[in-house]
Amino acid sequence: MNVGMYHVTNNTLSKTSASMTIDSLTVRGLKYDNALNKYVYVDSVLYNNAKSLSKINLPLQSFESTSVYEIVFNATVTTPNVLTNKDDIIIYKNKKDTFTVAHQNMDKYLSLECGSIKIHSVDTVLTTNNFIDSVRITKRQVNNINVENIKIYK
Amino acid sequence: MLMVYSVQAQKIKIQKKLASDSIAIPLFNGIIVEGDIASVASSVLSNGGTYSYEGAVKIDLKHKFYPTFEFGYAGADKLTVDNIVFSTNGAFWRGGIDINMLKQKKAANAINSMLLLGVRLGVSSFNYNISNVTIADEYWGGPVQAMNYNNLSTTKVWLELTAGIRVEVLKNIYMGWTIRNKNLLTSTADGAVTPWYIPGFGTNKSSNLGLNYTIGYKFQLPSKKKNTAKPQAGEVTTAKMK
Repeated sequence: MNVGMYHVTNNTLSKTSASMTIDSLTVRGLKYDNALNKYVYVDSVLYNNAKSLSKINLPLQSFESTSVYEIVFNATVTTPNVLTNKDDIIIYKNKKDTFTVAHQNMDKYLSLECGSIKIHSVDTVLTTNNFIDSVRITKRQVNNINVENIKIYK
Repeated sequence: MLMVYSVQAQKIKIQKKLASDSIAIPLFNGIIVEGDIASVASSVLSNGGTYSYEGAVKIDLKHKFYPTFEFGYAGADKLTVDNIVFSTNGAFWRGGIDINMLKQKKAANAINSMLLLGVRLGVSSFNYNISNVTIADEYWGGPVQAMNYNNLSTTKVWLELTAGIRVEVLKNIYMGWTIRNKNLLTSTADGAVTPWYIPGFGTNKSSNLGLNYTIGYKFQLPSKKKNTAKPQAGEVTTAKMK
């Protein structure tokens, strides 16, 4: 699942959004542990303090219908201010959001050489709002074609 | 003396020409039954991976048109590096026509040979199994899902352009080869569990090349054969006697 980062600028008349580069990102999967009755980190880290990213690729769970991620943002957000004619610069440090995706999983056979893969259909995206302002699903079908599925807005 | 001779020679020529023109090649000149050696050889070489056996029947119309019916049985047992197993077997047939690009030679001692260009429409209806297709979740973990697609059936249709030669090596025994360009006409939907091998067509891709090395026997109708042979010989002998 492909997720792009966008920055929204409020003008007097309209809102515009542009691709935004995050200074550094850390993304880990959170999996529900039935024995412990809580969410625990998946062993490996998806993005470990990765620098200057404007899009991330998150693998959805193949055998569960909910995938939960913890995303830690370090970002410098620059917004042009119309009144002062200067840029407003806000620095975010270690802002942590929990990003939840509800989805359906289907099998897709490719070929004898490549076997089968899981494809997904995204139903709902939920997020906390420590850094993330809002999200939008742009393409629900998640398969072996690499297109942006979700936009994260700041 | 010389003039008389040349006039006579001319007469003979004209008579000969008339004789050969008047012998109409009959419509039906027999049936050639062929077996394919190349597919047997490649079946042995592939060591059971794929196998194919086929034969053909050609009807000789005027030594020019050869309506052809080919039939066979083929299959595959394939194990991939990921331990996916594919197996199929089924019958296939191809129907079409060959056109002989060579003119039939009149001389009695001429070797009968054919340069054949043709088209075929191939059809195979078959069942296939694909087993042990696995999906593992590399990041999130969890159990490995194994899937078996059993007893799937499909019908595939393809078009072939063929070129080949046949030579009569012994009386009524023909040997030769055919190369064929096979083009699959049946399309498949994205994500469908498609067969890896199609009997009579080969591995499942848009086009395949094929080679046959054939040995065949021509069954002729005895009465028709007499009609074509006799008048020609008769005319020539009378001309000589003058």
